[in-house]
Amino acid sequence: MNLRAQTSSFTSLIVYTLTTGLGLLSLFYPFFYLPVIHPAYGSQPRLGEMPLMLTLVLGLCLLVLIYEVQGQASNAKLIALLGILVAINSILRFAEVAFPGPGGFTPIFFLITLTGYVFGGRFGFLMGAMTLFVSALITGGVGPWLPSQMFTAGWVGMSAPLTRILIRPAKRGTRLEIIVLAAFSAIWGILYGAIMNLWTWPFLTGPAQLYWSPEAGALVAFQRYLAYYLVTSLVWDLAGAIGNIALMLFFGSPTLRTLRRFQNRFTFHYQLSDSDHSRPPMSSPVQME
Amino acid sequence: MFNTWTWISWLVASLIAVSTTRNPAYLILIFLCISLVNQEQRRKAKLGVDESLRIFPIDPFRLSLFIILISSLVNATLSHFGETVLFYLPIWIPYIGGAITLEAIVYGAINGLILSCIFSAFITINQALPVSNLIRLIPRAFHPVALVTSIAVTFVPVSLRQFNQIREAQAVRGHQVRGLSSWLPLLLPLLIGGLERAFSLAEAMTARGFVSGQPVVSELYTRLALAGGLFFTFAGWLLHLSGRGFVWGSVLMIIGLVAILGTLWIVSRQSLRTTYTRVSWSKRDLFVTGLSMMVAAAFLLPIPGIETNTLRYNPYPSLSLPPFDPLIGILILGLLAPLLNPRPSDQVTQL
Repeated sequence: MNLRAQTSSFTSLIVYTLTTGLGLLSLFYPFFYLPVIHPAYGSQPRLGEMPLMLTLVLGLCLLVLIYEVQGQASNAKLIALLGILVAINSILRFAEVAFPGPGGFTPIFFLITLTGYVFGGRFGFLMGAMTLFVSALITGGVGPWLPSQMFTAGWVGMSAPLTRILIRPAKRGTRLEIIVLAAFSAIWGILYGAIMNLWTWPFLTGPAQLYWSPEAGALVAFQRYLAYYLVTSLVWDLAGAIGNIALMLFFGSPTLRTLRRFQNRFTFHYQLSDSDHSRPPMSSPVQME
Repeated sequence: MFNTWTWISWLVASLIAVSTTRNPAYLILIFLCISLVNQEQRRKAKLGVDESLRIFPIDPFRLSLFIILISSLVNATLSHFGETVLFYLPIWIPYIGGAITLEAIVYGAINGLILSCIFSAFITINQALPVSNLIRLIPRAFHPVALVTSIAVTFVPVSLRQFNQIREAQAVRGHQVRGLSSWLPLLLPLLIGGLERAFSLAEAMTARGFVSGQPVVSELYTRLALAGGLFFTFAGWLLHLSGRGFVWGSVLMIIGLVAILGTLWIVSRQSLRTTYTRVSWSKRDLFVTGLSMMVAAAFLLPIPGIETNTLRYNPYPSLSLPPFDPLIGILILGLLAPLLNPRPSDQVTQL
């Protein structure tokens, strides 16, 4: 690898780390920023601006991350593939809005997980974020909550290739692969709800042992959030996790085979004519690690 | 139809107004203004006055009343602070047992009112702006994303049609939807058909010259500027929150914002985009935008003659009448500006 490529990879890593880190800090601020609140200043005036500031910081992180990721998706094959897959997934979201499933069940994470797993983390991130964006445009769901939804759904797709650590190449296409992916999507079924709840939790008021207060430390805030989540959201999100498992067990195997078949088909090469031998060959497999 | 940026300025003004005050008098006024604009959009959509308007099944006004009611009830039952006790719930009931106070009800209603204003403002924008106008807002620096969005939005109705065709074809073959596994013969052909279309689309795009082959990697300075901008924004926000460096926090945030937006603007200038239609600014657009900016300025800037202290209100420990500055009240009425109907002749389209 030459110096230019090494520098490019290094700065890319910095951008990924920074955007993901700041995105996490923005969402998890009830656990992190509390010790720096000045007691004399009070917390109430600052709370009012939280939703806007959170949206701003998360939106900026999302802009930068999408800008970085999209740099790898500038060929026709990836754009067409992503556009069509996002359209199909948006229909699933549309169906979910029209006919709500049990609890927090949503079918959109099925394709996000599988595309991230097959085509790579960057593709998975774009698939997650774009699905939420396009479905919000169609269903009229554009709002301050959208950046957090896009970011978290993007993380689902981006983290999907991590499951490959547990699945050796020899085990691909077996039952183990589907079980690991089902467990992964079940975990995200709960995590997605838990992360989304963090957006509203600091604004709710109620018994001290369940709700956020500025003077509570990070550990106490975490304990309170855990109690709040168990009481108010766990059952709701469990329905989502069970739904994700069911989708993966019933549809995972044939969908994976289909995506892999098309991944191979999309790896086509442009044949150069004799007069074009001076140009570099143009080929790009559909893989965005 | 107003210019897209006119609506965006109205939305920003509404959000700034809502997020900088907890005074119920102002909040009710803001809510009524937003609701009036929204109801006018719904009326036009129902009458078919403007074909670009979308109508949503949920009436935001009714939804808002529901949110305010629920928020008041939840806060009243969970928060037992306040001096004006209305009645007591048995203390043995976990969490909700204790005094139900008027202050807690009002506090909950204020929270619900803020949420309702935010919801209603966004629903109004979603109704007023066609999807194509929203896609056009995507900066040129994000042209691959804009293209993906355009493809996805275009292919949603196509995919829906294909799904119906598959359903009919399977029904003719005797297929019935019973249980989760019976959806596979419907969903898999949809996915395969979609991927085949993606293949054809990619070939068509390539044939028309849309291919780079090699990934376009952003330049080093662009990445560093974006990363630095993010770092400054977040550091500024932390300083802002701590209350120890309001000025420095604001300065850092502005530096960060300028670095990110400036970099994206420079990158956008390098991307070419063909514009087939251009919607110009009419006088009414300028008027509505100007009024919206005035509303935002009244809530953000220390303008002489405006009592910004009246923006604050806390019903605890005992309820009191909220203060009211008539000048702020009049300025809030500026949010009604979109009720001014743009004349068809105001919308100039150039080919």
